[in-house]
Amino acid sequence: MTEAEATIQAPAAAGPPRTYGSIVWGQLRKRPSAMGSLGFIILLALGAILAPFIGGEVPIRWVEDGQVSWPIFQYLSNAEYVAMLAFALGLALPITIRLVRPRAEQVGASPVLQALAIHAGILAAAAVILFAVRQPERRYGFYLERAEKAESTWFPLIAYARNPGYKELADKEQPPSWEHPLGTGRLGDDVLIRILYGARTALTIGFVAVGISLAIGVVLGAVSGNFGGWVDLALMRVAEVFMSIPRLILIIIMVTVIPPQWLSPIWTVVLVLGLTGWTGTYRLMRAELLRIRDEDYMTAARALGVRTGRLLVRHAIPNGLAPILVGATFGIAGAIFLEVTLAFLGLVQTPSWGTMLNDGRQHLAYWWIWVTSGSAIFLTVFAYNLLGEGIRDAVDPKLRI
Amino acid sequence: MRTYILKRLLLMVPTLLGITLLTYAIVRLAPGDPVEALIRSQAGDINPQVFAREADRIRERLGLKDYNFWGQDPDHIDLPEKVLNAFYGYGRWVWHMAHGDFGESMQYRTTDGSKDPARLYLERAHVTITLNAIAEVLIFLIAIPVGLAAARYRGRLFDRFSTIMLLGFWSVPHVLAGTLLLNYLARGGIGLEWFPYAGLHSLEAQDLTWLKSFGDVFWHATLPVMCLVYGGLAYLAKLGRASLLESIRADYVRTARAKGLPESRVVYHHALRNSLLPMITTMVMMLPALLGGSVVVERIFSIPGMGQLVVGAAMQRDLAVIMFGTLVFGTLTLVSLLVGDLLYAWADPRIRYD
Repeated sequence: MTEAEATIQAPAAAGPPRTYGSIVWGQLRKRPSAMGSLGFIILLALGAILAPFIGGEVPIRWVEDGQVSWPIFQYLSNAEYVAMLAFALGLALPITIRLVRPRAEQVGASPVLQALAIHAGILAAAAVILFAVRQPERRYGFYLERAEKAESTWFPLIAYARNPGYKELADKEQPPSWEHPLGTGRLGDDVLIRILYGARTALTIGFVAVGISLAIGVVLGAVSGNFGGWVDLALMRVAEVFMSIPRLILIIIMVTVIPPQWLSPIWTVVLVLGLTGWTGTYRLMRAELLRIRDEDYMTAARALGVRTGRLLVRHAIPNGLAPILVGATFGIAGAIFLEVTLAFLGLVQTPSWGTMLNDGRQHLAYWWIWVTSGSAIFLTVFAYNLLGEGIRDAVDPKLRI
Repeated sequence: MRTYILKRLLLMVPTLLGITLLTYAIVRLAPGDPVEALIRSQAGDINPQVFAREADRIRERLGLKDYNFWGQDPDHIDLPEKVLNAFYGYGRWVWHMAHGDFGESMQYRTTDGSKDPARLYLERAHVTITLNAIAEVLIFLIAIPVGLAAARYRGRLFDRFSTIMLLGFWSVPHVLAGTLLLNYLARGGIGLEWFPYAGLHSLEAQDLTWLKSFGDVFWHATLPVMCLVYGGLAYLAKLGRASLLESIRADYVRTARAKGLPESRVVYHHALRNSLLPMITTMVMMLPALLGGSVVVERIFSIPGMGQLVVGAAMQRDLAVIMFGTLVFGTLTLVSLLVGDLLYAWADPRIRYD
């Protein structure tokens, strides 16, 4: 090694390189409110995924005639398995990042992106296999009756029939008790379990709708900012159309005109939200690209012959990602609110917090219904807003000093 | 500048055409027939012959046969023809609209029996505008001092407390807040009976003097306005805090302090003035969102406003009313975007549009 090379390499050897993402994450970790919110959302997701273990009529373990069986695992739907796997993979992401880091850095690739790609691959493969092979058990309504015949049973914490017709309706509208910690609803259903299943709806709406709009916004914004000219002008007009179209009216029309057997109303809402909500991301991404398009490192990359697609993915998009993330968390909160509004207008039939709140709103005397669903909505939206606020602060370089 | 405004105004035309075309296409191409839905919702399943006669009668009465842009798609029509019909219908809508004819509502009538959507909206506009105007003014009046105090005492107790409170307010759904206010402050029974629980006027409003009827409207508007204010307030106060923090750190504020000006003059004269305009701009851009919120509020408090009309029309697929509503709300959004941009440029000479 010559002396010139040594002096050039010295600063790089001083410490591990810090990426923009790791700086932001480090800032975010210092904020207890943001980390608390993240923890709350993870817990909520866990509760939503494990809802069948917390309450329901299918036993976890069942011993009859000396035969041990685990019925709940036959009853869990494919989607539930996929969600569990996704959750586990999400928690394991830091480990994978650490594992791929040495190799990725040798090739000059991003370890985070590689780890994400690996996990997405595993998840997709598992989902395809599960849906192709497995047929979940769907027969309900006999375990609770046969409970005396079994030698040993482990029921979920709140053992109650999922079928509302199964139990006597004497159980309906009961205030909180040991048997039903948050009381029972208008059809004798357990409120806690409805909250957990409602969390599924809320989380799905938020993640899927925002995911769709992020994907559209990032791609169109990058294209628009990078190419400019008439492409930019045309895309900008399209964005303007979607920005100024009255979304609520559009969603109401879509939900009323699309037959529920084609697409369940909740998915209509998700699709409309996703397909109309990309304008904010689009504008951010476009502005970001206009800013960095002529930066030296972009020119250098272009001069090295890096293809446009790779240029956008490797250099442009990561730089604009943080502000987009802020918009995404607020977007999720907004999507949850919108579901509440639609349920209030009577347009949603899926079990959700919105329908519960609307139910409780009309029967205020059964206070546990509106108090629980109202607090669930409030706490979740609050957590997302706090998290968004935290990310915004973490991204803001002025506050870092 | 003038050319810029002119250009923006001209660009609004294709955007508005896009919005209305999209809405029209969705309503028009969706399966099912609103006349059929209207009969079914009122009479349930009836004999097909009676049904056909009834449908013809309603189409005749509503003038839907040759007009109102529904046309009469025959039963077994293939998709290309349907799309073509929709485009033709849309063209007719634009043509008629350009001549000041907005079609006819299927079921809504003004008090004097007119079916004109423009008059339907006009009849309800003052209610919605009154509510939102009061709400906007209140939001502004409360948000400025709160944001100012939070920025001045940054990191202290008041700042932390107000930040958390505002985020909390922001996270309460309108449906919940409205219901609780209505049931515990207006309905009586389990709660209090301080405020009226429906409408925006008392029954005897016409006999009241000018001053008293003004007070009457305010009394009726208290709860709905509270409902509209709390969310927007949080948003604006947060923004005000951020923009004030930015200007407090600016060089000219440091200069003002170094000159030995009293702190109050530095804050109110130098810092506040510069952060006021972003707040006004946000206010203008917030207007469409506020109107969206009033859809829920109007329904909870039974106020006959534009929000109720447009939601009702969307649920019944009342095409002429939907189209006019889309046009009004779309124009409003575009205009407030433009005004916001212009205000930015006016406040900050570094931004130039040409």
